[in-house]
Amino acid sequence: MDNYGLDLHCEMLLEEYRHQLPLYERLQELVMQTIRDQVSQTDISVNSMESRIKEEKSFVGKLKRKGYKYSELSDITDILGVRVITFYNEEVDRIASLAESVFDIDWQNSEDKRLKHEFHSFGYNSLHYICRLREPVPAELKNFRFELQIRTALQHVWSAIQHDIGYKTELEIPIEHHRSLSRLAGLLELADNEFSRIRNAIAEYRHRINSLVQNGQFNEVVLDKESFRSYLSRRPYDKLNRKIAAITQAEVHTASLLPFVNVLKHQGLKTLGDVELMLKENVDDAYQLALYQLGTTDIDILSETIGLQNLCIVYILKNGGGKPGLIQMFEELNGPSPYNETLASIVLEQAQRLKFMNQ
Amino acid sequence: MIFDIKEENGGMVACIHGRLDTPASVKAQQEIVPLLENADKEILLNCSELEYISSSGLRLFLTIRKETAAKGGKVIIENVSDDIKKVFMMTGFFNLFEIR
Repeated sequence: MDNYGLDLHCEMLLEEYRHQLPLYERLQELVMQTIRDQVSQTDISVNSMESRIKEEKSFVGKLKRKGYKYSELSDITDILGVRVITFYNEEVDRIASLAESVFDIDWQNSEDKRLKHEFHSFGYNSLHYICRLREPVPAELKNFRFELQIRTALQHVWSAIQHDIGYKTELEIPIEHHRSLSRLAGLLELADNEFSRIRNAIAEYRHRINSLVQNGQFNEVVLDKESFRSYLSRRPYDKLNRKIAAITQAEVHTASLLPFVNVLKHQGLKTLGDVELMLKENVDDAYQLALYQLGTTDIDILSETIGLQNLCIVYILKNGGGKPGLIQMFEELNGPSPYNETLASIVLEQAQRLKFMNQ
Repeated sequence: MIFDIKEENGGMVACIHGRLDTPASVKAQQEIVPLLENADKEILLNCSELEYISSSGLRLFLTIRKETAAKGGKVIIENVSDDIKKVFMMTGFFNLFEIR
């Protein structure tokens, strides 16, 4: 055994620490499993979860610095340390609330470092809870406490770098370096708030779009990927697809219609109102095109894209897009390829025999 | 043999021969097993000798595509005749595959 030069009291604490290490390992397993289980039942996206049992060297360092403060081992609350790192400020509080629901919190010794700063100071931000397992607890772990730190990824970066550059050494550090670190902490706090604000703004935008779409207020919704996704949730092309599938009693194979948003935008459609109007005005001709193509075949499997694909073809041709317009459509969907020109020629040849091209 | 399969440059190459109608597609279900087992790789379906594809043939292609999508591979179809291109287009499946 190493001789650390500890006094008798600290030697006893060290001996007890060594003796109880296997119990702390057991505690670590239980705590991590509990947190993982709880988080998996929520929609919180955690950046990382980590835990460590204080190494002997670090434990001895602590005893040397302030071993006199601890009358017994259980007074040292950070032998097991657990850290949950979140992406957003709000999720620090959600994880905290989740911890409160599964662990007993020692409020007297817990600390919210975020509230410790003066209005004009910036620095370490993290929520520290001292916890115990909640009953039923294995008897041997009954009095064990552990420290749970919860912070955002940016708070963690600041803390880790500060630690790495030895900010906490006993060396006197010139004030300008303190100020630089504080300034960075302020900057990251601002960034954390901005990330939260942006996330909330996007969520609000989604809610508003969804609500407008569900209420059928299509003219008020700008066409973009997000709004089109919401529009598709109303299954606007199902009726046309069913009618086309009925031509050959085909099954409809599920496929994403989202890539068509670029085709629609390229055709100058600006709002979901335009998309809805395009459907209404061209649905019969899109069906006639499918009827012409499939009527003499026995093809009994179709992609879910078939209705919208034919609508786009009809719309392009009716609006004078011609073969270049069709090639453009196939390029939006397939990427550039000589194959697109062949497809465009085939479609154009077929469409030219239909009524909508000859009016 | 409808699917003539070999390993090439770390991927799989299948030359498809003749008519992929319903009876041939049933038979080919066994033949494509090596492709499904290697669906984490790039699978090239060479259709230069494919004369006809039925709905059952399309289903085989979709099975291979589904497996590659699940395992991280990719299906590329090449040397497709105009008639078969027409089938891919009028079924809406043309943009599910990379067709060269």
